[in-house]
Amino acid sequence: MIQNFKRMKNKIGVYICQCGGNISDYVDVEKVREAVKNEPGVALAKHMMFTCADSSQKEMIDDIKENKLDALVVASCSPKLHLYTFRNVAERAGINQYNYIQVNLREQCSWAHTDKPKDATIKGIGLVRAGIAKVRLSKALEKITISSYNVVTIIGAGVSGMRAAIELADMGTDVYLIEKDHFVGGRPTQMEELFQSKQTGKEITERLFTEIKKREKIKLFTGAELESLTGNIGNFHAKVKIKPRYIIPDYDKKKLKEVIEKCTDEVPDEFNFGLIKRKAIYKNYDKALPDIPVIDKDSFNPDDKFLETYKDCIDLNQKEKILNLKSGAILLTTGFDLYEPNKGEYGYGNFENVITLHQLKRIIELNDNEKLMYNNKDVKRIVFIYCVGSRQTKGENKYCSRFCCTAAIHSSIIIKKRYKDIRCCHIYRDMRTYGKQEILYNEARDQKDMFFKFNEEEPPIIEKEGDNTIVKIKDVLLEGQEIELIPDLVVLVTGMIPRKDTPALANIVKAPIGLDKFFNEVHPKLRPVETVIDGVFIAGSCQGPKNITESINSSLAASAKIHSIISSGEIKLEPIIATINKDTCEWCGKCIEVCDYDAITKTEYNGKSIATVNIALCKGGGMCLPVCPVDAIEITGYSNLEIESMIDAINKEIKIESTEEVTPVDESEHKMKEMPEIWNKIIESLKQEQKSISQIAEGTNLSLPVITYHIMTMVKYGYVNPTEMNDMDEFYFYELKK
Amino acid sequence: MSLRINFEVIDKIEALGSKGMEKCYNCGNCIGICPMELDILPRKIFRYALLGVHDKIVEEKEMIFSCLLCKRCEESCPSDVPIAENIRILRYYINHEEFKI
Repeated sequence: MIQNFKRMKNKIGVYICQCGGNISDYVDVEKVREAVKNEPGVALAKHMMFTCADSSQKEMIDDIKENKLDALVVASCSPKLHLYTFRNVAERAGINQYNYIQVNLREQCSWAHTDKPKDATIKGIGLVRAGIAKVRLSKALEKITISSYNVVTIIGAGVSGMRAAIELADMGTDVYLIEKDHFVGGRPTQMEELFQSKQTGKEITERLFTEIKKREKIKLFTGAELESLTGNIGNFHAKVKIKPRYIIPDYDKKKLKEVIEKCTDEVPDEFNFGLIKRKAIYKNYDKALPDIPVIDKDSFNPDDKFLETYKDCIDLNQKEKILNLKSGAILLTTGFDLYEPNKGEYGYGNFENVITLHQLKRIIELNDNEKLMYNNKDVKRIVFIYCVGSRQTKGENKYCSRFCCTAAIHSSIIIKKRYKDIRCCHIYRDMRTYGKQEILYNEARDQKDMFFKFNEEEPPIIEKEGDNTIVKIKDVLLEGQEIELIPDLVVLVTGMIPRKDTPALANIVKAPIGLDKFFNEVHPKLRPVETVIDGVFIAGSCQGPKNITESINSSLAASAKIHSIISSGEIKLEPIIATINKDTCEWCGKCIEVCDYDAITKTEYNGKSIATVNIALCKGGGMCLPVCPVDAIEITGYSNLEIESMIDAINKEIKIESTEEVTPVDESEHKMKEMPEIWNKIIESLKQEQKSISQIAEGTNLSLPVITYHIMTMVKYGYVNPTEMNDMDEFYFYELKK
Repeated sequence: MSLRINFEVIDKIEALGSKGMEKCYNCGNCIGICPMELDILPRKIFRYALLGVHDKIVEEKEMIFSCLLCKRCEESCPSDVPIAENIRILRYYINHEEFKI
């Protein structure tokens, strides 16, 4: 059958890489070359010092052109490293890149079998032969081209999302910016002054918002939530639900101010972590953007007269809207949640003066006294306890949250500058004010802040003694002596955790979540903003703890990546996907169950139901193949024919004449048959009594080495047993086994 | 018995002009080289001073007053702590606070 295959490649070039010794030290590349040079279809076989070197690539291209080769096999390293290098070589030499096969000699042969060079060579020959067999049947394939919207949907209008939107708009891409809250800016608006820029989070948000308003390409939706997402890269359909603000769009600003003043319904303010109350008609903060208040309908209970008076401002009958947005890519910049300590964790929830760092930041901002006040009491001594909810070796959050050491130190510096006579004590595990933030650490030390180190096993203990709160720690510098502090305020420096709605969102966009429950990238170093779902990107702190600088870095990286993919209006995809034989498919639905990418749908063909593959979603994973009861599915490039020919090639007998190294073969059994008379002599002489080797030699006229060899063999096969040693502990006596 | 940090004592010692005590990282070079073989000075006594533990400072007054102020320790201090000057300040503190001189 294979012989009848019409388009079989007959001029294959095979190149074996030495990898500068990495391969050739263990795999005998010359033997591999000899073994494969006469394989059917091979026109040329060579080995080279480094196939990936520029000169080698040029030599290959010249060879291909000169000998009119029609397929290429390179036996070198893992395809993860150089698949695209050699596909490129093939393209440049004028052969289709899918007529190239890479064989992994380095990772799978030489590095894996350093102890058995001969076997590594045998394995290498088998693999190269299989590669040749596969490339003989390979077809020239073209990349699949699909059209794409030059539009991006960004989910989350925090600093990362807004920055990415501006960048994408400037590059000519349309942007839908969706924010779940009614106001933009996210977490940084809750932080006050930020390190380095000296701007507040609010100022940064305002600046970004002004830029967004200047650009017509960006459409911002607040109070908007992603309901569902269908489609694939280039063509996503997002269904977005928009919550109403219950404020009439062209409202009178003065009158609305009056409405807010007269509103009497109050609820704890989430934006200020419940430290104060807000009205039912509210903005997160005074200058919150967009500059339209929102009515919290659940807690808003006006009387009819109130509604009648202000009916040109308030409209409680506004309905939720559903938008259908089409875009080529999705960028998730949903951010993080702040860790909320458990009740009783360092006294949180039990003692009123134990608060979290973000609460402290709100207290500083809301405080307009000359002195720092909390619960109407002067605050003079503050104790910061670090790593609360982060770096838990036994708990859930094993990671370091990166920003909290700096945030705590920075807060202490701000406090010290703003209020006099306050002393801050830092109880830390390791001070991680990395990079330029080290300046802050030095500044804090210069302002006479006190630092105490603790181990996770011996955390500080917080107790009440009368009115006083006592923090007890074991001081490292006093050899573990317990010391006590009496602070006015205990601040728990809490870290970042994944947002509560991350799993729900992950379910909608099908993006993977890592072990730390943040969104997961494809490769932490080389592909840091992509997810395994084509067209879904991540940036900012939804991926893991990041400070603002790092978040913006990743959001700009994501914008560049997205733009490079969707801006041309068409997307090229790998052609190695599943194809379905429409005639044999009988629709059982088994393939749809196992597909990881939801790439299979049910369609009608010639009056029957069949499975159809979405070419944009299919990754060629191959899960559908073995479950198909009628064998109607085939993966391009991995057809039954190709796999069978590879197996045949690998199974061919491999003969290599050993020159240097002889694999030890167990010869004892073989010699036992050859020389039974020696064994008989030994058994005869041992019949009367136990004897040492030299005593046996005396009685049998055999040389000592021969006896030693055979005695050892006989011990191995259970004919004789060593018994005891002589008086000087020099040698053993042997006896026959009973 | 745990030591209670007294911020008033810390403020008093700071007001006397102590400096650089917090730079000490407990290497013990000073103790190795001390001609009086004072094994508490200065690393522990500075820690007590930084934490404002009055009782402990007074408890070690023998040591504090035995110091020759020869500054050999200062020479070998990798962290450049002005040891002799701080010892002098602690003497002043003890005289003032404990003996009321």
